[in-house]
Amino acid sequence: MAKRMKTYSTKIKNAVHLLFFQHHRLPGVRGWELKKELGNDWQNVVEVLDKQLQPLDLKVTRVFDEPNIIDPTNAQLSDARYYITMRGTVDQKAAKSIGWRIDDIAGLAVSVAYIISKQGKAPRREIEKILAEKLPGWRAKLNLDKYIQEGYLGEDDQGIVYLDWRSRAEIDQKKLVDLVVSFGRKQLEA
Amino acid sequence: MSSELESVISLCRMVHSGKIEPFDVDFDYIMSVIKKHYPEIKDVREFCLDAQALKEVSTVLENQNKWIAHQSTTLYKDPFMLNQQLINMDIGSLADAFLKSWHPIVEMEQMSSKTLSNSLGYWGDLIPLDERWQEPEVEAKDTRYATRNEVHELGIIPAEGFGEIIEKFWRELGDEAGEGGTIDYWKWIGRDTYEETVYRAYVTVFLVSYGYANIDRNPLLEETMITHLEEPRPNPEQSKVSIPVMVDYEEWKYWRKE
Repeated sequence: MAKRMKTYSTKIKNAVHLLFFQHHRLPGVRGWELKKELGNDWQNVVEVLDKQLQPLDLKVTRVFDEPNIIDPTNAQLSDARYYITMRGTVDQKAAKSIGWRIDDIAGLAVSVAYIISKQGKAPRREIEKILAEKLPGWRAKLNLDKYIQEGYLGEDDQGIVYLDWRSRAEIDQKKLVDLVVSFGRKQLEA
Repeated sequence: MSSELESVISLCRMVHSGKIEPFDVDFDYIMSVIKKHYPEIKDVREFCLDAQALKEVSTVLENQNKWIAHQSTTLYKDPFMLNQQLINMDIGSLADAFLKSWHPIVEMEQMSSKTLSNSLGYWGDLIPLDERWQEPEVEAKDTRYATRNEVHELGIIPAEGFGEIIEKFWRELGDEAGEGGTIDYWKWIGRDTYEETVYRAYVTVFLVSYGYANIDRNPLLEETMITHLEEPRPNPEQSKVSIPVMVDYEEWKYWRKE
């Protein structure tokens, strides 16, 4: 039993190394990489690690290549990408301290919410137009390029912009849309 | 026929790229256009166009299906209402909404044995600064004259004039494609060496620009054809159309294999 516990704690340490340290150009590791390193019970190991990270306000986040997967198959779990993300959220002060300007964050909120409303993709011109409602015209283009460079948005060769890996990993899309839609109502209720 | 079907294809592609909503397309009208043209198909090109239109229509149906699926999810909110809200909200409220739904990734960058060994290798191969910053040794030399033959041998001036080269190519095209005939672009420019192939592609550009030949591209069959003009028509007033054709090394190797 003691030996088994030791093996399990070693596996959790290995999972920490895999998930916290960047191994590829993009952060996170695929399910199959975890399986290769941790063995067949890798999903249990990840679950235990997730519980241990809770007091530190961190969690293991799983992102599927295809959105809207509710009941994943083993193959989909193997292909999914796993990240360590914050369990809670950050306030404006903390966001500023990690290098984000408030208007940059607002611009990202507008871009992401607009793309969600268009089922995950929209022409770049349309996003620039709606961004220009909040930012000067030149900043709209510049900010859009920044969001693409940082992996929140992607752009194909037809100028169509979509939500990229980082948005899927970091943003609770449903919550964002709910907060935007209920904005005026909450103020009225208050 | 082709223009109507091409419009249908273009309309369907606009749906796929998100420029228009899937249900904004009049599906019955599109099908009536395809049905109307189907009995009139005469050649392979028109048949391919018809097939392409059908394929694009099927992607519209797929997008309509996705649209319904999206509307039935908890993520769906009326796009118009969402956009109005985005416009009405101030910067601070937008940032707040985002931060309440944002869980940033936590990651650490670190040195690994691999990066250390790569760095060591780089350091070992680095030439010392005093060698790298050495001034180039420049030797003063007296200038002298070169004969025309020497300049030709060096390849600075071609042995024949450019007009003559164009005329020679035009006659060669006439021989290969037949007077007023058409030949496949790669069959015309492709030669045993890559250098010669690029040279022929370069001269062909002028052959077309100066009105000695026409170039046509069929995007559906991915074919580019060169047509020999029996009488050169150098007409500077005529509007020019640019057709970029890739003649890179990989493409040439692929052609050679074929």
